[in-house]
Amino acid sequence: MLRMQIFVGLISLAFFVLTFELIRKRILREEYAILWLFTSLFIAVLSLWPKMVPLISKITGFYYVTALLLIVTIFLIAMLMHFSTVISRIKDANKELTQRYGLLELRVREMEQNKLG
Amino acid sequence: MKQRVAVIVPAYNEEHSIGGVVRKIKALGEGYHAIVINDNSNDQTSLIAQQEGAIVVDLPCNLGIGGAVQTGFRYALANEYDVCVQVDGDGQHPTEKVPYLSKTLNEEKCDLVIGSRFVMKTDYDISCMRRIGIQIISLFLWLSTGVSIKDPTSGFRATNRKAMGLFAKDYPQDYPEPQSLIFAHKYRFKVKEVSIEMKNRMHGTSSITSLKAGYYMIKVLLAMFIDLFKKP
Repeated sequence: MLRMQIFVGLISLAFFVLTFELIRKRILREEYAILWLFTSLFIAVLSLWPKMVPLISKITGFYYVTALLLIVTIFLIAMLMHFSTVISRIKDANKELTQRYGLLELRVREMEQNKLG
Repeated sequence: MKQRVAVIVPAYNEEHSIGGVVRKIKALGEGYHAIVINDNSNDQTSLIAQQEGAIVVDLPCNLGIGGAVQTGFRYALANEYDVCVQVDGDGQHPTEKVPYLSKTLNEEKCDLVIGSRFVMKTDYDISCMRRIGIQIISLFLWLSTGVSIKDPTSGFRATNRKAMGLFAKDYPQDYPEPQSLIFAHKYRFKVKEVSIEMKNRMHGTSSITSLKAGYYMIKVLLAMFIDLFKKP
């Protein structure tokens, strides 16, 4: 039990350090990092307080590993959905910027030609 | 006062055909301006179009046909054009019919006029597959909106200021031709379809190949279905 606790604790620590490093190197933005920080926190709680697992089992009625797998899968799907919405938003912003840039560049070119001509 | 018509040409790697398309638009005479939207081509499309005297908007990222055409609507709206006519950059659309489309738009007081192909002398199998696909999309459009359009995938179309204004703000990006007809229905546009004979593609390949026709159709139908429920 203790070995498992240490193992899970190390995973959560690694997770936390990774998230922190990604923010520090500006690869990950804080707003998305919060989600991952909470995830690592959740794993940490799991290692410090392993009795939470049977407690969750009692509350939810899931007594099998497959049920845990289900929860993890749902979590991952929710994350992916979230990322899809983020990508969609970025694509919309990119479209808007691309169009405006193209139209502005044309105006600049025309103004320069008028100045020369 | 004579009408100003913006002929919007979305072009992605069309260096072989863009010159001819622009020349034909210029040959239409006064009031017709060629506006080429170069969708981040890797070839000489932009340069050739500029040399032929077109107004060229160079997009720094590839947006696809929807984003490119919408850029044209935005340009036309900002520069106070009365009519937009969309023409493909591959030389497939009969440019000499542009005045006919804009005339129909004015005379019939429509918001959107679609020039439909009714003859396609391409390889029988391909045209057969595509025709079935187009008919199913057309049927779906009729069932869901009550609008009967024989060729909802035609990109040869004219829009008035009302339509270009709304399309400048909100234009479908994935399958713009059929999807925009759902938009048009929601905005209560007056739409008219006119028959026009089209040539085969001269250069390049169509964005819809025969193998992908079925898959394309399903995706289009799905996108159109979702559009029916989209918030304005």
